[in-house]
Amino acid sequence: MDAAQAIRELTELSSQIESAIVLGADGSVLASTHEDPARAAALASSTLELIGAAFELNAQPYEVTRVEVELESGALFVLRDGGRTIAATTGPDPTSGLVVYDLRTCLQSVTEPVEKKKRPASRKKEEGSE
Amino acid sequence: MRKLVRLAVVLGLAIWAWRRFAGHSGPRERAGVSFADGSSIVLEPGSVGFERLASIARSALRP
Repeated sequence: MDAAQAIRELTELSSQIESAIVLGADGSVLASTHEDPARAAALASSTLELIGAAFELNAQPYEVTRVEVELESGALFVLRDGGRTIAATTGPDPTSGLVVYDLRTCLQSVTEPVEKKKRPASRKKEEGSE
Repeated sequence: MRKLVRLAVVLGLAIWAWRRFAGHSGPRERAGVSFADGSSIVLEPGSVGFERLASIARSALRP
């Protein structure tokens, strides 16, 4: 499933999630609930900044896999798996376990579309040259 | 009938007292971070780490 489809299913599934974003291994935005690219970029920037700040909290150089920040105005969740990152904002007092479960499911359902699309194209070229 | 009214009043007072003293008291602020080695930390308001993460989260939550 591509990231856009996965994030659509996530927002349909979870009523608590207000906005969400999926980032690739290089930090680029793969999909977002924000239609405005500037807002998507702002959430991506906050997500990467949060991961950087969380990484500095540990004396050992281990990768950050999850960050949850719950505030009176709402909550920000960040999960990382297989190089990809998902972040979501919710309203105040969310059911953390449920939100994290939904985000993990979404992140695991995202597949890399780039390599899969390239393979059939190269086969056609080989067939044409014969 | 009097016993029934008394029971209802006592029940009402018990529920009020439970909500007042032991019930949920609004949203609580906290932050948690998990790492690849399986370790995790919980940060409470007032700590330097929490304030740093909270300031980033606040900017993301701003409408």
